[in-house]
Amino acid sequence: MSWKLNRNWVCKYVLLGMFCFYWGCTLGQKWSENYALLPGASATDPAFIDANPETIGQSQRKQGSGSVGTDLDIPSEAIIYLPERKSIYRIVIHSTNLEEFEVHAFNSRGEWDKIYDRRSNRDLIIDIRLKKVIMTSGIKVVVRRTTDDAARKRENIQLRRENVQTSDGNIRRGRYRYFITGPTTALANIAEIELYGYATASP
Amino acid sequence: MECRNRLLFISKVFDGLHCATTSTRIWVVMLITVLVCNGCTALKEAQQRREQRILEERNASSLMLRPSNPTIKIKEPDALYATSDHYTLTFAEDLYEHPELDSIEERETFVRSALGYMESLYDAMNRLFGFQPKHKIHVTLHDLYQGTRLAATTTTNYRYGFQNGRYLKFVNGIKMDFPLAMYEKHGVRAHELTHAFTNIYFLPVWFSEGIAVLIQTEYAQGGTHPKFDSLKGTYLRVDLDGVNQLENWGGHLDGGPLTQWRYRYSYTLVSELRERYGNDFYIKVFELMEADALHQRLEGKMRTSFLVYYLSKAAGEDLVPFFQELQFKVRKLTKEDILKQIEEMNSQIRRQP
Repeated sequence: MSWKLNRNWVCKYVLLGMFCFYWGCTLGQKWSENYALLPGASATDPAFIDANPETIGQSQRKQGSGSVGTDLDIPSEAIIYLPERKSIYRIVIHSTNLEEFEVHAFNSRGEWDKIYDRRSNRDLIIDIRLKKVIMTSGIKVVVRRTTDDAARKRENIQLRRENVQTSDGNIRRGRYRYFITGPTTALANIAEIELYGYATASP
Repeated sequence: MECRNRLLFISKVFDGLHCATTSTRIWVVMLITVLVCNGCTALKEAQQRREQRILEERNASSLMLRPSNPTIKIKEPDALYATSDHYTLTFAEDLYEHPELDSIEERETFVRSALGYMESLYDAMNRLFGFQPKHKIHVTLHDLYQGTRLAATTTTNYRYGFQNGRYLKFVNGIKMDFPLAMYEKHGVRAHELTHAFTNIYFLPVWFSEGIAVLIQTEYAQGGTHPKFDSLKGTYLRVDLDGVNQLENWGGHLDGGPLTQWRYRYSYTLVSELRERYGNDFYIKVFELMEADALHQRLEGKMRTSFLVYYLSKAAGEDLVPFFQELQFKVRKLTKEDILKQIEEMNSQIRRQP
C-alpha cells in the first residue's frame, strides 16, 4: 500500500516537474516587444525603427578629417538609442547588402562595447542571439563591408593620365595615376533593426 | 587617539545595548535599519542621476531622429514627384536613367525613405531652433547639379513689397537642389535644412554658413570643415581694405582655398560664441529677431552690425569690440539707429513717383 502511495506521489512529482520544465522552456521562447519601437527611441536613420520594411535607411559615415584619402578606412554606422536601459538578447537586422559588421552596446560608462561580429553574411534577415543578456540603452552596427563596395570602388577610383600643361600652352601627356573621387565603400541599406529581450525579463 | 575614542564609544553603546531593555534594543536596531536603508536609497538615487546624465550626454552628442509618420503622396503613374507634410520631392530628368532609380518601384521606395528621413530631420531642427519656415521646401534631386556632384544648394526666394506705407520682405519659397551623391551624406542634408530654417531671417552669408557648418559638424557629426585653433593671428584673412574676408562673402561661388577658409573661419567664429555664451545662445538670438521683426523691414541682406546688435543683446554684453578685433567693419547700433534707417528708407520710397 505504502509503495503504491509512494509510486503515485513520484508520478505526480515527475509530472509536475515535466510541466514546470515545459512551462520554463515555453517562457524562454517568448520574446519581449520590439524595444526599438518604444516611444522615445531614436536612430541615425528613422527608417530603422519605423516598423515599415518598405522604407530603407542607410548607415552613416562617421565624421572624418574631410580628406577623402585620409578617411578611406572609416566605417559607417547605424545607431539606435532606447529611452531607457533594456535587457537585450536578440537583435534582428533586415539588410540587403550587409556583409561584414560588428554590433556594439552602449555601456553604463557612456562607452561602446563590442558584443558581436560577423565576417561573411549572406542573409537578408540577420537574426542574432547573443550569448548573454546585454543591459544597454543603445545599439550600434558598425559596417565593415557591404556587397556594394566593389561597385562603389569601381565608381570612385579611376585610373587617369596626369596630364601637364606646358609653358607654351600645350598639354603634355603624363603618367597614369589612380584618382579617388569619393568614398570607396558603400553605405549599408537597412530596412529595420529589431531589439528583443525575454518577455519575463526585467526591466 | 580620536579613532580609539570613537571605537571605545561604539563598544560602550553595544555594552549598553547588552544591558538595555528589549524595547530599547528594538529602537536601536530600527534606527540602524533606517540608516542603512537611507544609505541604499541615496546610493540608488546617485546611480540614477549618473545614468540620467550619461543618457543626456548621449542624446546631446549626436543627431538622432525619431520616426515622423508623415503623409506621403506619390504622383502616379511614374513616381517622379511626391509630396509630404513639409516637402515636395522631384526627380530631375538626368536621374530618369540612373541605374538605382530607373524603375517605378525603386523610385517609390526611395521617395518613402527619403521623405520619411527629411520629415524626421525637420522635426529635430524644429525642436532645436524653436521655429520653422512657413513654406514647404521644394527638393529636387539631380545626378549632376550645376555640372558637379559635389555641390548642394538651398535657395530662399524673397518678395519685396510696400505695404501700409512700409517696405517689407517676404519669403516666397524655399528650394533645395542635391546631386544624389550629396544627398547620401547626412551631414549635407542637415547643413542644407539649417539654411532652409535660418534663411527666413535674411542673415549675412558668413553667419548663415557658420551656423549650418556648426549643426552639420557638432550635431549631425558629418562635417568636412574642421575648426581653426584660433580666430586671430595667421588664421585671420583680410581683404585689400583690411576688412575680414568673411564680411563680403556672397555665397558658395567655388571650392577654392578662400571659400574653404571662409567655411572654416565662420564655423570657428560661430562655435566660439556658442562656447562662450552657452548652447542656447543662438536660440536666444533668433527669438530676439523674431520678437522685433526688424529683419523684414530692412533693405537687402542683413548687415553684420545689425546682427552684432542682436548677438550683443543675447550675450548681455557689447560684442562690437570683439568683432572689430577680428577686422569686421562694424559699429555699435541702438534700436533707434535701426528704426531711423528703416524710416529714412521708407520715406525715400514714398517720395518716389
